[in-house]
Amino acid sequence: MSYKFDWTVLWSGQSGGWLLDGLSTTVEISFLAWWLAVLLGIGAGALRTAPVAPLRWAATFYVEFFRNVPLLVWMFFWYFAAPPLLPDGMREWLFDHGAEFWAGLCALGVYHGARFSEVMRAGIQAIPKTQFEAALSTGLTVTQTYRLVILPIALRLIIPPATNESLNLLKNSSVALTIGVAELTFQTRQIETYTAKAFEALAAGTVIYLLLCLTIAALMARVERRCAIPGMIVRGGVEGF
Amino acid sequence: MKRLVIFLAAAILMFGNAAAARCETTLEKISRSATLTIGTRTGSPPFAYVNRNNEWVGFSIDLVEKAILPVLAKKLGKEIKVEKKESTPQTRIPLLTSNAVDLIAETMTDTQSRRDSVDFSLTFFATGAQFLVKKGSPIKGIQTIAGKRIAAQQGSTNARIIRERAPSAKLLEFPDQPAAFQALAQGQVQAYTNDGIQLAGLKAKAPKPEEWAVVGEFFSYEPYGMALRKGDSDFRQVVNVGLMDAIESGKYFEIYDKWFGPKGELPYPLTPETKRFLQMQVVPK
Repeated sequence: MSYKFDWTVLWSGQSGGWLLDGLSTTVEISFLAWWLAVLLGIGAGALRTAPVAPLRWAATFYVEFFRNVPLLVWMFFWYFAAPPLLPDGMREWLFDHGAEFWAGLCALGVYHGARFSEVMRAGIQAIPKTQFEAALSTGLTVTQTYRLVILPIALRLIIPPATNESLNLLKNSSVALTIGVAELTFQTRQIETYTAKAFEALAAGTVIYLLLCLTIAALMARVERRCAIPGMIVRGGVEGF
Repeated sequence: MKRLVIFLAAAILMFGNAAAARCETTLEKISRSATLTIGTRTGSPPFAYVNRNNEWVGFSIDLVEKAILPVLAKKLGKEIKVEKKESTPQTRIPLLTSNAVDLIAETMTDTQSRRDSVDFSLTFFATGAQFLVKKGSPIKGIQTIAGKRIAAQQGSTNARIIRERAPSAKLLEFPDQPAAFQALAQGQVQAYTNDGIQLAGLKAKAPKPEEWAVVGEFFSYEPYGMALRKGDSDFRQVVNVGLMDAIESGKYFEIYDKWFGPKGELPYPLTPETKRFLQMQVVPK
C-alpha cells in the first residue's frame, strides 16, 4: 500500500478544535435525547403493563411504530416532513436556530424511547405479580404501586440492558450527520475534506467514541453498585468491572 | 492443539497472500482479474448517475469506457470489463488506497492537499462554484450570502471556501446532493452551493426547472481529474494516454456533445478557452 500515514493532521491546524466541537455536539445531543428516551421509555414501558386496555394499546402503538422504522428515516421525517406542519414564523425561527439539531434530538429520543420502553417492560414483568398484589393490599392505589414499588425495583433491574441501549443511542447520534448536524463523525469527515487523510481522521473518531462509551459503561456500573438493594440482586458480574 | 496449528497456518497463509496482493501494481491487478474497478457517483448528473431506465451512466463513465478502456485493453492485450462501485466524497480516497477500486471517475476536484494522498489524471473538465436558489432570491453570489443559511455538500471544496470567505453565512453541510436540494426546496436553507455544472444538472432534473436559478460568478476553480493510487505511474500513463488520444482524435468532444451538447442531457456549451485548455494538455506522441 502506497498510503503514507501522517498523524500530525489531527493536532495541526483546526482539526483539534473540530474534534472538540464534534465531541461536544455528540455529547449534547446524546445527553438530551437520552433524557427524552428515558422519560418516554419509563412512561410507555409502565403503560404497556397497565391494567387498563386502551393505555396498553396506545403504548404498544407507540413502541411498534417508532422502533420498526429505521432511524435514518426518522431523521429525515423530523427534519423534512415535520417543519412544514409548523406556523410560518415559528418555522423560520427554528431554521435560523439550528433546526437540524432539534430534529436530530427528536428522532434519536423518540426512536430510542420506544426501545427503552421494551427494556422497561421486561424489567417490570420480571417482578413477581405477588409483589404488585402485596402493594395493592397495603392500601396503595395502582399509580402509587407503580411509583413507589414497581418502578424503583424495575429501574434497578434494567440497568445492564439500559446501559446497552444508552451506548447504542450515543453511537446512533452519528446518523444525525445526514441532516447536517456537526457531530463527531461529521467533524472527522471535515478533517478528511481539508487534509485528505481519511484513515487518520476515522481513527481519531473511533478512539473518541470508544473512550466515551467506556466512560458511560463505567458510570452505569457505578450507578448499579450504588443503587443495589442489598440481598435482592445478584452482583457477581459487576464486582469485577 | 492440532486445530490451533492448522488455524495459525491458515491465518499466516492468508496474511501472506494479502501482503503479496499489496505489492501488485494496478496494471497487474487489472490484467489478473480482467476487470477495471471504478468508483463513481449515483446522483451527480450528467457526470455519473442512475438514469430513468435504471442504467448507471454519465460523462465520466463514458470517458472511462470509451476513451481509457480501449487503450488499457490494447496495453494488456486482452478484453477488460468495467465494474462500477459507488464512491462518495468521504469514501473515495479510502476506496482507492485500500485497493477496493482502481480509479475514481466522477466529479472529484484535483487539489494540492488531495495530491498528498492520491495521484490525478489530466483535467477532464473545469468548472467553478456557484449557487442554486429559488428564482427571485436576493442571493446573487458570494458577496450577498452574509447571515444567510447556505447548504453545501460535505467533503466538497466549496464548503471550505464559504467558511473562509463568508464566515458569517450559516453553513449547513449534507452528505449527499438530494438531501441538500430537499433542504433548499423546503426552505431550511436559502441557497445551495456546489460546482456550477452540477447545479445546472440538478436544476434540469428538478420537477419544475423554471422555479430555480443558478447564480453568481464562479467563486472557486474546480478542475475535475480522475484519481488513482499514488505512485503508480504506469497505470496513470495509460489513463492519461486514453484521455489525450480522445481529445486529439475528437472522441472527447463527441462524448462531450452527447451529454452537454444542444441535444444532450444538459446543454452546457464548451467555451473556446476550455477547449483550448483541454487541447494544450495533450503532449506530443
